[in-house]
Amino acid sequence: MQERRVTIANRLGLHARAAARLVQCAGQFNCQVVIERADNQQSADGKSILSVLLLAAARGSTLIIKTAGADEERAAEAIVELIDNRFGEEVSDGLY
Amino acid sequence: MVFTNQESSSTKSASRDLRLPGIGASPGVAVGRALRLDESGRHQFYYVAISGGQVRREVRRLREAFAEARAQLQEIKDKLAHQLGSEHSYILDAHLMILEDDRFQTEIKQAVRRRKINAEWAVRSVTDRIIAAYKQVQDAYLRERSTDIEDIASRLLTILSGHTEFNLSELTENVIIIAEDIWPSTVAELNFNRVLGFATNSGGQTSHSAIIARALNIPAVVGIHNITQNVRTGDAVIIDGTLGEVIVKPTKPVIRDYLIKRETFVEERRPNKQATLPAETLDGVRITLRANVELPNEIESLSLFGAQGIGLYRSEFMFLNRLPDLPDEEEQVELYTRLSDATGEQGASIRVFDLGGDKLSLQGFEAEQNPALGLRGIRLSMRATAVFQTQLKAILRANRRGNLRVVLPLISTITELRLAKQFIANVKRELADSHIEHNPNLPIGVMIEVPAAAMMADIFAREANFLCIGTNDLIQYLLAVDRANENVAYLYQPLHPALLRTIAHLVRVAETVQVPLELCGEMAADPVQAIALIGLGIRALSLVPASIPLIKNAIRSIEEEQVRELMSKAMQLVSASEVEELLARELPLQAPRFFAALSAKG
Repeated sequence: MQERRVTIANRLGLHARAAARLVQCAGQFNCQVVIERADNQQSADGKSILSVLLLAAARGSTLIIKTAGADEERAAEAIVELIDNRFGEEVSDGLY
Repeated sequence: MVFTNQESSSTKSASRDLRLPGIGASPGVAVGRALRLDESGRHQFYYVAISGGQVRREVRRLREAFAEARAQLQEIKDKLAHQLGSEHSYILDAHLMILEDDRFQTEIKQAVRRRKINAEWAVRSVTDRIIAAYKQVQDAYLRERSTDIEDIASRLLTILSGHTEFNLSELTENVIIIAEDIWPSTVAELNFNRVLGFATNSGGQTSHSAIIARALNIPAVVGIHNITQNVRTGDAVIIDGTLGEVIVKPTKPVIRDYLIKRETFVEERRPNKQATLPAETLDGVRITLRANVELPNEIESLSLFGAQGIGLYRSEFMFLNRLPDLPDEEEQVELYTRLSDATGEQGASIRVFDLGGDKLSLQGFEAEQNPALGLRGIRLSMRATAVFQTQLKAILRANRRGNLRVVLPLISTITELRLAKQFIANVKRELADSHIEHNPNLPIGVMIEVPAAAMMADIFAREANFLCIGTNDLIQYLLAVDRANENVAYLYQPLHPALLRTIAHLVRVAETVQVPLELCGEMAADPVQAIALIGLGIRALSLVPASIPLIKNAIRSIEEEQVRELMSKAMQLVSASEVEELLARELPLQAPRFFAALSAKG
């Protein structure tokens, strides 16, 4: 099992678009993906949009990414990279 | 959506003229029978305990229902994109994503397997639990997702229950829709030729239902607390979208009054042969009448109503209700190209997204103490630079015909204009450096909405290509009044001498500096106020397309010289009520053909 800590940096946190990208990313791997909020231990199935949205993780919240399975390492890397890159949102500053 | 318990006509109770106030979302009058849509009770389903052998069948029914729901949603999405533009079809993306959520499907199937229950009951209990969880979330945007989930649950239940969903596109009678809210997917399914109007419990001026009603020219009242409790299918109902009122079970005299009112409303706005006649006063002064546009499907109605191009394209409607997802550059290029293609020589003025204040309150943005005076208009654009840049690139690229213009909202100081111009110049350079095809000739206009900008108009006139007076905001800031606040709404006085003098000043400046001056705002769609503006020297108005025939009739009934004299008197008066009295007395004398008839109709 892999475990990574990562902080949400994009302004809107895990809103629809970001959550969708995360779920898409997680879905590419065979391993199990669990996303947990470090502040309240609330956890979500990383492959379910309904579950991830419900985390309501705002900007600045720390997430713990747990992956377990054959491709757990690659999955963890990919998800951390996605979050660090602010989900590929082109807008880096300002309000969005 | 389906009918609630159908009331037989024999149980119809006596007429009683119950008047329910709400927010007028789309003007006009509708008189007809109600069709009550019911969300919570729209499907009947039962708890059925199943045997182990039936599990497989129930799971298969579920799988088929999911596939069918996905196909239906995809079809609705395509239809919505076609009718309202792709910027509104995104709503269905969230629905589709949820439907494709493996965990969601798995949980429902497991409920069937473990609890040995029928598919319907499994869908209901699993979605109820998820909806309850979403309703707990603090974040308003996420909390709203519970309506998406309910929409999906209803769709699945309808499919499972075997009969096809009550099909609103097959309405055989004209109806007035009464509902808690009009769901996006329902809007896509409605046969609007059969819908006379609608009234909903929820919603505000900028809600999706309101925007759609305006675009489709259907009278609507929203935000009525108790409309669904008071109306049953088959009840006679009157919708007054102009006043923002619904009358339930009207008495005969009231129905008669409203039928006349409806006739007048339709008659005055009927696009007729006059659409091709010029908006010219009796003494030969030509007025330009342009259209205010919010939704792409309004573009097609421009020539019907005789609009001379688009004076104000409110680009924020493309952004609204859509945050945090924003339309990308290609999507914007496509839309602006449509504006350009549809408006020919007359062209279109695109107002840079003017989000802020009330419009942003629910979108997950930090609330401001005083949004009307806060981060909005150009102030926001210069902060959210990536969004501003994308929009400008799209406009520059779409402007092959060279008939597009850009307007900057809420400019207060010359520095803002200079910075924005610099920003636009940088965007052009970037496009040129990357060899992207675009037209660098883009006239830049300034919205005159802030009193400081009105007083300094001569300075702006020298550095902008044109000025555009936005009366809605100018009145708000000039009289320091929030018209949505019922305690002070009486102060929203379009004919206040302070505003008249301000506009006269702007006309003088524009003539002196020789810069084009236009005016947009609700004043332009009110016959008396529009004529007052012309008397002040305004020569170009931009208004909702459907009101253009009415205003054109008013213009063709007056002499410019007479109203000019009238307005110079008006500016010497001390209050809005004195001005109103003067105009109510004099205009019917000057132009009996139009204004005497107008005041006789009340």
